[in-house]
Amino acid sequence: MKRIQKKHRITAIIEIVMLFFVSGCIGTVHGQQEKSISFFAMDTYMTVRAWGVSDETLAACRAEAGSLEALLSVTREDSEIARLNRDGRAGLSPATAGLLEKALTLCAQTDGALDISVYPAVKAWGFTTGAHRVPGGDELAALRERVGWRRVALEGAEASLAEGTEIDLGSVAKGYAGDRMLSILREGGAVCALLDLGGNVQTMGTKPDGSPWRIAVRDPRTEGNIGVLETRGGAVVTSGGYQRFFDDEDGNRWWHIMDPATCMPARSGLLSATAVGDEGTVCDALSTALFVMGAQKASAYWREHGGFGMILVTEEGDVLVTEDLADRFSMTEGAGGSLRIIHRDED
Amino acid sequence: MKTKTWILIIAAAAVLCAAASAILLGGTAPGRTVEILLDGAAVRRIDLNAVTEPETFTLRSAGGGTNVIAVEPGRIRVLEADCPDLLCVKQGWLSDGVAPIVCLPHRLVIQPAARESADAVSR
Repeated sequence: MKRIQKKHRITAIIEIVMLFFVSGCIGTVHGQQEKSISFFAMDTYMTVRAWGVSDETLAACRAEAGSLEALLSVTREDSEIARLNRDGRAGLSPATAGLLEKALTLCAQTDGALDISVYPAVKAWGFTTGAHRVPGGDELAALRERVGWRRVALEGAEASLAEGTEIDLGSVAKGYAGDRMLSILREGGAVCALLDLGGNVQTMGTKPDGSPWRIAVRDPRTEGNIGVLETRGGAVVTSGGYQRFFDDEDGNRWWHIMDPATCMPARSGLLSATAVGDEGTVCDALSTALFVMGAQKASAYWREHGGFGMILVTEEGDVLVTEDLADRFSMTEGAGGSLRIIHRDED
Repeated sequence: MKTKTWILIIAAAAVLCAAASAILLGGTAPGRTVEILLDGAAVRRIDLNAVTEPETFTLRSAGGGTNVIAVEPGRIRVLEADCPDLLCVKQGWLSDGVAPIVCLPHRLVIQPAARESADAVSR
C-alpha cells in the first residue's frame, strides 16, 4: 500500500469500523413491519405472518380460510363436498372443481396411496366422532368395496360418485388454503411470509434479514423435534400417525391415516413423512401418500417423479432424507437414530 | 503502515462490530415466556424459566369446558381436559419454544411469546 498520511489513516480506520457496524444494522432492518394474525379455521389453528402488507390483506387471508371451510368441509352440512357425498352428484364452484381435479390427479400419480375416497373407513374406525373402534373382517371387506378414487367422476364442474362412495378433501385442503393465502399476500405486496396452518408450514421468500426460514420437523416419538430444515420459499408438510390415534384393549395402536387398499390404518414402517416443495397443495397430498407407501415405495416414487424432497422417520427412529435436502437439513442433537441420505441413483 | 497491519485493523473492527451488534440487537438471554389464550384473549403469561415450584391451575372455556394446566420449571402442558379427543393432553410438554399446544373445542392456545431456535414446526 502507498504510504498514507497519519490523519488520513485514522479517518480511514474510523470509516472502516463504521461501515461494518452500519451494514450489520441495515441487514436486519428492512423498514418493513411484521404483521401477524392467528385464528381458528378449517378445524385447526392458523397463524399468518407477513412483512410489507396491510391489515386488510391479512384479514383477506382469514376470510379465504373461512370461505374454503364453507366450500370444502365434510362436516358442514351445506358445504359442496357434504352435498356431493349426500346426493351422489353435485355441481361444484370453480375453486372446488379445480381442487378436486388436482386431488384426483395426485391419487392417480401415487397409484392410490393418496385416496380421497377413503372417508368411509376413517368414519368406521371412529376418527370423526371420537368413538374409536376396530371394525371386524366383514365390515372391512364391505368398506373396501366402497373405497377407490376411480369411483369419483368429474366432468367440468359436475362431480358424481359411485354408489356408497364418500370423499373428503382434508388431505389437500390446508395445503390449498396456504397456496391461496400466499397468492393474496403476494398481491398485497408481501415479499416475506410464514404460514403455520395447523402444522402445515408454508413460506414466501426468506426472512426479512435475507437468511433462510428455519423449519423444525416434529419428532413423532417425543415432544421435541427431529431436526431443522432451512428453506427459502416453499412448503414443508408432515403427515404422521402420532397426532390422532387410539390404543385398543390388546395394546395395538391405530391411527387416522388409512391404507386405502386395506381400509385399515397404514402400517408401512414409518412414523412420519414430510414433503418439501413449491406448492402447499402438492406437499399436503404427498405427505399422506408417502406415509402410506413406506420408505421403499416412497424412495422409488421420489426417484421416478422428483419435483419435491422428503424426510421420513421410520418406526425404528431412523431419519431418511432425500439428497436434495441433505445440505439444508440438520438433525437435532440427541434426537433419533441414524440419518441416511436417499440418493438419486439407487444404492 | 504495512498491508498486514491494515488487515489486522479491519479484522479487529469486524469482530468488534459483530460483538456490538450481538449485544445491542440480540437482546438478553431468552426467558421462555408463554401466553395462554382462551378464545383469542390472553388470560395468562408465564415465564417458564422463572418458575421454581410446579403448579397446576384450571381454565374454563366459554362453553364450559375445562383444561387443567401443569407448569414446571422450563415447561408447560395440559394435564387433564374434558374435551372429546384429549389431543391437547396428548401433545405433551411444550418445551421447544416453537409449536403451540391447542385445544380446539375449548378454543385454548398455549403459545410461546417469542421465537426460538426455529421459526415454525412442521407437524
